[in-house]
Amino acid sequence: MKKKTEYIYTIIVMALLIFGLSLFAVLKPAGDFSESERRPLEQLPELSIKTLLNGDFMDNFEDYTNDQFPFRDTFRSVKALAQYYLFGLSDNNELYFADGHIAKLDFPINQDSLDYAALRFNELYETYMEGKVNKVLFSVVPDKNAYLGEKNGYPQMDYDYMIGFFKEKLPFANHVEIFDLVDESDYYLTDTHWQQQDITGVAEKILVHLEARPFEDLEEKVATENFHGVYYGQSALPLKPEKIVYLTTPELESMSVFNYETGLKGGIYDFDKLEGKDPYEFYLSGAVPLLEVTNSSAKSDRHLIIFRDSFGSSLAPLLMRDYSKITIIDTRYLLPNFIGEYVDFEGADVLMIYSSLILNDSFILKK
Amino acid sequence: MLFSSIPFLYYFLPLVLLTYFAVPKKLKNAVLFAYSLVFYAWGEPVYVFLMAASIISAWGLALLMDGAKTPKMKKILMIISVVISFSFLAYFKYADFFISNFNAATGLSVPLLKIALPVGISFYTFQIASYTIDVYRGDTKANKNILDFGTYVVLFPQLIAGPIVRYVDIADMLKNRTHTLEKTAYGIQRFCIGLGKKVLFANAFGELCSIFRASDEKTVLFYWIYAAAFMLQIYFDFSGYSDMAIGLGRIFGFTFLENFDFPYISKSITEFWRRWHMSLGSWFRDYVYIPLGGNRVSTPRFLFNIFVVWFLTGFWHGADWQFIVWGLFYGTLLVIEKMWLKKHLDKAPAVLRHIYVLFFTAIGFVIFNSVSIGGALEDLKGMFGLAGIPFAGTATLYYLKSYALMFVAGSLLATPAVKTMLKKIDSTEIGGKTFAVLKPLGFAAVLIMVTGYLADGSFNPFLYFRF
Repeated sequence: MKKKTEYIYTIIVMALLIFGLSLFAVLKPAGDFSESERRPLEQLPELSIKTLLNGDFMDNFEDYTNDQFPFRDTFRSVKALAQYYLFGLSDNNELYFADGHIAKLDFPINQDSLDYAALRFNELYETYMEGKVNKVLFSVVPDKNAYLGEKNGYPQMDYDYMIGFFKEKLPFANHVEIFDLVDESDYYLTDTHWQQQDITGVAEKILVHLEARPFEDLEEKVATENFHGVYYGQSALPLKPEKIVYLTTPELESMSVFNYETGLKGGIYDFDKLEGKDPYEFYLSGAVPLLEVTNSSAKSDRHLIIFRDSFGSSLAPLLMRDYSKITIIDTRYLLPNFIGEYVDFEGADVLMIYSSLILNDSFILKK
Repeated sequence: MLFSSIPFLYYFLPLVLLTYFAVPKKLKNAVLFAYSLVFYAWGEPVYVFLMAASIISAWGLALLMDGAKTPKMKKILMIISVVISFSFLAYFKYADFFISNFNAATGLSVPLLKIALPVGISFYTFQIASYTIDVYRGDTKANKNILDFGTYVVLFPQLIAGPIVRYVDIADMLKNRTHTLEKTAYGIQRFCIGLGKKVLFANAFGELCSIFRASDEKTVLFYWIYAAAFMLQIYFDFSGYSDMAIGLGRIFGFTFLENFDFPYISKSITEFWRRWHMSLGSWFRDYVYIPLGGNRVSTPRFLFNIFVVWFLTGFWHGADWQFIVWGLFYGTLLVIEKMWLKKHLDKAPAVLRHIYVLFFTAIGFVIFNSVSIGGALEDLKGMFGLAGIPFAGTATLYYLKSYALMFVAGSLLATPAVKTMLKKIDSTEIGGKTFAVLKPLGFAAVLIMVTGYLADGSFNPFLYFRF
């Protein structure tokens, strides 16, 4: 009799779970977009004889059911927590959790990638800068593994080697080392990027090399208190949102930014982006191929050209005080051949600043 | 369709259960047959016609065999049926292997057919062949009802990755089977165990194997970690699938024979093969080894029989030389055990015997999981420090540390220790009462965790699909 009760109990518990979730999955309206993963969700695939026979319907239906499953984010959190705390795995989908941060494993050094990046930078120099520009600086932005990895038992790339490699391969540049100027607390907990309010030291060091002055009256303002970084969704860990703080001055607020891609003018900080899929794009509108900033408050006609990735977006505003024109180029989205059509390098100062993450996976840079 | 997928767990399974238990007894096989066809067509929309052809030919020829006037005619019909079944297998699975070897031997360039392998063809071909041979031998009567026979062949719980269910073992159940609370509860539990083995363990070890393959860091230790991870992956993958098949079968009133019995606790290779993929081993024993004369023959003939069986066992797993070498590797070990080593092994301490089995099983599975004979040699050289690589490195030590608990848990679960302990606790009064409450919740927790892994779109291949 006792056994019979146990059987019934087992059947009821499992039936409730399977049939309940099944019913919910069927009745739940399909979502369009995953905020946490910052991507569109798969929709019910087209059903036709063709898609049935070639198997497309079945493949896409599985993606659809995975994406639209009820409480999907909660289930993903269950998985992440099981990986870390039940099975003791050090990472989940290559993301690890240490000192309150989520970080992504990135090791070892990808020599092909470094070679590729060095080749691209040399081409840029030879094509546009050689004999024309005033000075060229090169700097590697550390990713947060550089501070979290070793002390928490995670492997990390050989950053000293990376810096040494670019020193050797980019002899035309003055290399600015900034690894000692930041630590893990200067990065968002749930995002890959550094926080603008913590990198004034980096800006000051670069400005010393550029023989330019930093802003003296920077004011901290909060752009949003509801920032979930890119690793938040990927890690599926239940973590609190963070603040995006930005530094501003009346001069920065008066600057005008021309976006060559859209043909529109805007400001240094793009408040519309705070509602978008990646609020970090708030800084200089994020991933944009070519921007030209006009600083009418500058007392000189100096021109600064910055080749950058997303880390450079939050740094660039801090470098603008003494430059009347600042051109910001992202060769992940702009073919180097076209740069000459828009940018005059004569007498300009050039800063090439890239994160170690991009340098170790540089094939995204266009050639 | 994979058992470990959202479409199966939350769309197909609830539908089939609702329909199956809603219809009267006489329609249950029809429901299973129809849903099984959908299940198969989900992954193989076109090959469902191939399977239908196999079913119709085997069913019709078995009926003719039953009515054959002379033993000779019966034999001819049996041979025709077996040849038809195996020619499908030969064409779809082995044609390119023969063509590429023919090209290599002759220097010609006969174009490869490059046909996609119909999922589960190795399993259902062997099931159909066992039926045909059993009817020929008179061990069972030919089934006059094509729906019942079709249900036997396409029964979705074991259709694509076994166990290889013989017709004689479920002939009665096809006609008369009971559905009880006990069977359903057991089936649910067994299914959840298999699902957990597959998604929580096999996939994790599979991911480690993929990391090893993708890593630029190759060290001796990493090769051994890979070997151990693959041993656990293939065990949890395949035995997990068998558990799910057995569990689902039980829910629908079928009792399938066991397919795995903790093979890694074996103390000899002979014992290992009595515990690993038991349905395949017994198939080869009953339909190849014994008809060839088994071991009651002269030594040369015995050796011939053994190597034929192990050549075929390897070849069954894949149309590539590394599978054949893997089969012959085991054939050689079994001959050595039988003719010389067994008497020494029997006297050796148990721990040495376990190490011996695990060592050779690791070697075997490294060969098995290689991409070619050359790849297998590279892997073995790496394992034994003959590849000029360091003993350990950063990535090696990281993954060793990261997967340490998985390895401990996986190794424990690959032995009967946990099962025995839980049974002991269950047999006590307090333990029994506690388990009665906690067990269903535990299985629900497994299902919730598995759903989390599936919703996350985690690494989820099924190794035995390629066979």
